[in-house]
Amino acid sequence: MKEIIVIDGLSKYYNGFLALDNLSLKVRENEDVALLGPNGAGKSTTLKLLCGLLYPSSGSMYINGVNVVEERERAISEVGTMLETPEFYPFFTPDETLGYLGRLRGMHGRELERRIREVIKLVGLEKWGKVRIEKFSRGMKQRLALAQALLHDPQILILDEPSLGLDPRGMVEFREIIKKAKKKKTILFASHLLTEAAQICNKVAIIDHGKLRFYDDMSRLKKKYRSLERAYLKLTEREI
Amino acid sequence: MSEFEKLKIVTKYELLKQFRRKRFYGALAITLLAVILAIALYKGLNLPGRLRLDDSPELFAVFVTSMSSIAILGAVFFAGDAIASEFERKTGYILFPNPVKRNTLVIGKYLACFISTATVLAIAYLISAFALIGFYRQVPIGIFGSLAIALMLACSVISMAFLFSSVLKGSMGATIATLLTYMVIFSIISSSLIYAGYDPWFLLDHAANAVTATYGISLQQAFGGVGGRMAGAIKTPDPILSFLVLLVYAVVFFLLSIWLTKRREMV
Repeated sequence: MKEIIVIDGLSKYYNGFLALDNLSLKVRENEDVALLGPNGAGKSTTLKLLCGLLYPSSGSMYINGVNVVEERERAISEVGTMLETPEFYPFFTPDETLGYLGRLRGMHGRELERRIREVIKLVGLEKWGKVRIEKFSRGMKQRLALAQALLHDPQILILDEPSLGLDPRGMVEFREIIKKAKKKKTILFASHLLTEAAQICNKVAIIDHGKLRFYDDMSRLKKKYRSLERAYLKLTEREI
Repeated sequence: MSEFEKLKIVTKYELLKQFRRKRFYGALAITLLAVILAIALYKGLNLPGRLRLDDSPELFAVFVTSMSSIAILGAVFFAGDAIASEFERKTGYILFPNPVKRNTLVIGKYLACFISTATVLAIAYLISAFALIGFYRQVPIGIFGSLAIALMLACSVISMAFLFSSVLKGSMGATIATLLTYMVIFSIISSSLIYAGYDPWFLLDHAANAVTATYGISLQQAFGGVGGRMAGAIKTPDPILSFLVLLVYAVVFFLLSIWLTKRREMV
């Protein structure tokens, strides 16, 4: 299988603080990789670097063989993202927001209209398509964020804590949507929730203090450490 | 899809965003009030008589098209948060990970801010033109030059606001920094240079005075009776030179803002 994401010796300093330390990772086509680690481990930094929102201090990243730093626009053209707790322009409706983002990605006309209806339905916002986002709750914005990530039916999904701020029902629904949407997609998924990661992803990368501690199949990790929780605690420098 | 196509999309949606905001209608209301007040006070207080000047369409135009503050306020209202808010309110997490260059986004935002400001200014000039026709049956040709300088002033201030917006963390900070720089910093330098006997033709606020210099009436003539010692020292700026000075500020500040926005990280 083709290596769709290649991260090679990636480091990132924030004003002298080393947030990511020589990280190397390869993700193959249709693999679903969970990035796990404690707060400040470097998960979000890795994803932001991959989306071209940060510049690396050293190292390189490739998406579909395209260098993210040198050709950011081309590299991320097949990527759908949901980063941090996303915010939207409050004066727009979801239909307008998705129309804007879809057009920026080259979609137009009936194809765009059809796709907007599809993703709005998928995330359960059918009744809210024409309501201004200023009236939305955090959970509704999370749903809209997922809708925009899926809008152009991207080959790769980069999701950072996608269910953060959702109620338990919302989290279950969200997980189901991602499971449904992930077919024929490569997913890089950062989370604190080990059970969620285990349900969605077949591979796991554990990061701590900016370093990659483990990267392999979920099943191998469970076999080696008996459980994901045990592995997580062991690899992030905490003993049971 | 070409970057030009993307620019059209960004401009269209940024413009929609501007027109949906209350501040657009606020700026419009303030402008309408200012123009109507200027017309009413000029006529109601018989300003030409009090200043011992002959009333003329040109003198009337000088008073009612003193739009530099409208251009500045409009520009700052629309541009102060253009870039900073993407980082401050985290909307950049949705906008930036799209296959569109940051340059395109900044230019699109700039065009939308300019169109919004130009709309407000155009309405103000249109009312002034109607008033001129109503009172004098003619519109001085200088009004077009005045509008051109007001629009270029708006461009310069939008560029300055973009520059602060691309550097500072908050939208409010960018707005205040733009206003303070224009109204305090430039003003102090200008006044000091005038008192010292230098012509501050190269300063933004001085060039902005050319908004009323296109009617063939000098500032000494129009405002000679007020302002004390400063009034005598005010030199009417040359409209063409001032237009070019404003253009240089607009281009330099704008290019700097693009350069800084491209390098800014979404931390």
